[in-house]
Amino acid sequence: MISAGIDAGSRSIKVVLLDLDTHQVLACGQTNQGVHQEALAQDLFLHLLEQTGVDQSNLRGIIATGYGRNLIGFADTTVTEITCHARGVCHTVPSARTIVEIGGQDSKCIRLNGDGTVRDFAMNDRCAAGTGRFLEVVAARLGVTLDALGALAKHAKSPAHISSTCVVFAETEIIGLLASGAAPADIVAGVLIAVSTRVGAMAGRHVEDPVLFTGGVALIPGMVDCLKETLGHPVCVAPEPQFTGALGAALTSASP
Amino acid sequence: MTHCDADGPHEWFRRMISNCLQYARAAHAEGRPIIGIMCEFTPREIIMAAGAVPVCLCGGSAATIPAAEEHLPANLCPLIKSTYGYSVLRNNPFLEMASLVVAETTCDGKKKMYELLSERYPMYVLELPQKPHEDSGLAQWCETLRRFKAELELRFGVPITDEALRAAIANMNQERRLRRELAALMKADAPPLTGRQLLDFKSRVAGMERDLVQLELALVALRSQTELPARQNRVRVLMTGVPMVHGAEWVLDLVEDHGGLVVALENCTGLKPILEDVDESSDDPIHALAVKYYHLPCSVMSPNDDRLNLIRELALEYRAECVIELVWQACITYDVESYRVKRLVQEEIGVPYLGIETDYSVSDSARITVRVEALFEAVLQRRRSGSPAAPVSAVQEARPDDKT
Ligand code: SF4
Ligand code: SF4
Repeated sequence: MISAGIDAGSRSIKVVLLDLDTHQVLACGQTNQGVHQEALAQDLFLHLLEQTGVDQSNLRGIIATGYGRNLIGFADTTVTEITCHARGVCHTVPSARTIVEIGGQDSKCIRLNGDGTVRDFAMNDRCAAGTGRFLEVVAARLGVTLDALGALAKHAKSPAHISSTCVVFAETEIIGLLASGAAPADIVAGVLIAVSTRVGAMAGRHVEDPVLFTGGVALIPGMVDCLKETLGHPVCVAPEPQFTGALGAALTSASP
Repeated sequence: MTHCDADGPHEWFRRMISNCLQYARAAHAEGRPIIGIMCEFTPREIIMAAGAVPVCLCGGSAATIPAAEEHLPANLCPLIKSTYGYSVLRNNPFLEMASLVVAETTCDGKKKMYELLSERYPMYVLELPQKPHEDSGLAQWCETLRRFKAELELRFGVPITDEALRAAIANMNQERRLRRELAALMKADAPPLTGRQLLDFKSRVAGMERDLVQLELALVALRSQTELPARQNRVRVLMTGVPMVHGAEWVLDLVEDHGGLVVALENCTGLKPILEDVDESSDDPIHALAVKYYHLPCSVMSPNDDRLNLIRELALEYRAECVIELVWQACITYDVESYRVKRLVQEEIGVPYLGIETDYSVSDSARITVRVEALFEAVLQRRRSGSPAAPVSAVQEARPDDKT
C-alpha cells in the first residue's frame, strides 16, 4: 500500500509518495505555489504516480498539510504541519528532541517526547522576520537568486548589523547599507544572523539535543551555522529538509 | 408564562439582550435605578437590596474599539476598550439608562479607564484589597462594602435592610446553584450541551426571575434527555483565563468547531464566580458577602494560588484532556500568571497546554486554528496509545518582538 503526503506551503507545494510496507520513499517532487493551488498539487501528484508507475488503487491515503492544507480537495484528510514535521523527523532521526523549522512564511520550534510525540511547540506566523520571507526580500533587493544567497554570505568579512525587527523596515535599512557602500556579502550574512536570532528567541531556553533543522530555509548554505551559534547547540539539517512535512503527512496514514 | 418563554430555554437565552433590555426599561420606567457593573467582584446583592437593577456592562464587540481608541491607547485589553467604546458612541442602552456605574480597583487598565468614564457618568469605585489571604484585606473589603451600602442608601434614599439583603442573597444563590448544576452536566461522558450552549445560559441582568425559571426548565429537560449526542470523540477541554463576555466567544467557538468540547470554563464568565455561595444564615449579611466575593481567584489577586487549585480540581472533576488558556492582548495579570498555569498543567496535571493570546478581531483565527488542531492531534495520539500522562504543551508565539 502507498500513501501520499502533500505539503501545501506558502512558497511551494511538496509531494511525497511512501510505500507503507517498506517505509521507503518512492518519489518526491516540488513545485512553486500559485493561485490554483489544488490544480498545481494534483498535477504534481499525478506526475509522481506516473513516474513511479503506482496505480491509484494501491493508494491508502492522501494526506494534506501546510497552511494551504484545507484547499487540497482531493486529499482524504489533513494534519497540521506541527504533527507532520514531528513525524517526518522521527522517521529519519528517531532520537530527535527538538525541531526547528523555517519555512517560507512562518517558523516553528517543536519539542518532542521520548516517543516522538509532540511535547511543546512555539510558532511564529505573524511576523516575517524569522522566516524565509526575509531572505526572499533580501535576495530580490540584491538581485540574486535565493539559492545564491547563502553562497554569497560565505564571502562576508564583517556581517552587517540589521537592527530592525520588522522585514519592511529591515529592507529600508538594507537600502541604506547598500547606499553607504556595505558589501552585499556582509549584508546577507547580517540577515542570516537576524533570522536565526528571531528563531532563537522563539525557541527560548528549552532546547534539547539533538536539534534537527527542517523546512526549505535549511537548505540555504550558512543558515545552519548561524542557527548553531544562536542556539548554542549542535544543529543537524534533516535529510531533504524541504520534504519533511510531506513525508510526515504520508507517514500519518501508516499509523494515524 | 408568556409566549416568549414558551419556546424553551435555549431560545430564551438566545434573546438574552432583548430580554434584559425589556426588563431594564420596565424597571427604569417604574423608577428603579439601573446600576451598571463591570466585574465579578461587584456584590450584586447589595444593589438588588436597594431595589436597583444590576446590569453587566462589559463590552464584547470589536466594533466599538476604534471609538475607544480615540481616548485609550491601542495597546490595551479589548474588553476594556470595547466597554469604553460604547460610552464614546453612547450606544449601550444599559449604560445610558444607568444612574450609577459601580466598579472596583482591579487591573490597572480598568482602573484608569474608570477615571475617564467618571468624567461622563456617575461612578463609584470600590477599593479592592489584593492580598487574598490576609485578614486585614478581608476586613478592609468588608468596610468598603459597608460604605458602599451607605452610599446607595444615601444616593437613592432607600434603607437597605438585612432582610432585603438576605432575600437578594437567596436569589443570587439560587441563580448560582442553577448555573452550577447546569455546568456539572458537562462531567458526563456525553454531555447534553456544548460549552457554547452552556456559556449562553447567562444573563446581563443579575437574578432576573424569568431567567431563573428558564434555567430550572433547562436543567429538568437536559437531565431527562435520553438521546444524547455522541460527543465521546471530541477532545475534552478545560478553558481558563480571561472572561469571554457576550459577543466575544469566538475562541471558544473555534475550539469547539475543530473537535473540542469545552467541558469546563474556569473564568469569570464560567465557573469561577458561581462555585461559592453566600452564607444565607449569617447575622451579618454584608460580612457574608465580603467573604464570598473576596474569595474570587482573579489574576489581580496576589498570590493567586486559589486559581491554580481551582484549575487542578476542575481538570480532575471534568476529566479534561487538555487545558487551553485564553489571554486578551495586553492583559498583563493573566499573561504573567499563564507561566504558572502552564507549569501546573504540564508538570502536575500532566495534560497538554495551549496558550492563546489574541483580541476581539477574528483576523487571528487561521493562526489559532492550526495551534488548536496540533494540540488536538497530540491529545488524540495520546488517547490512541493510551500513554500515561506525558506532558505536552504549546505556546503561541504571538509577538516574537517581545522576546528578543
Ligand atoms: S477577571 Fe478579574 S477583573 Fe475581570 S471580571 Fe473577573 S474578577 Fe473582574
Ligand atoms: S482581561 Fe485582564 S486587562 Fe482585561 S479587564 Fe480583565 S483583568 Fe483587566
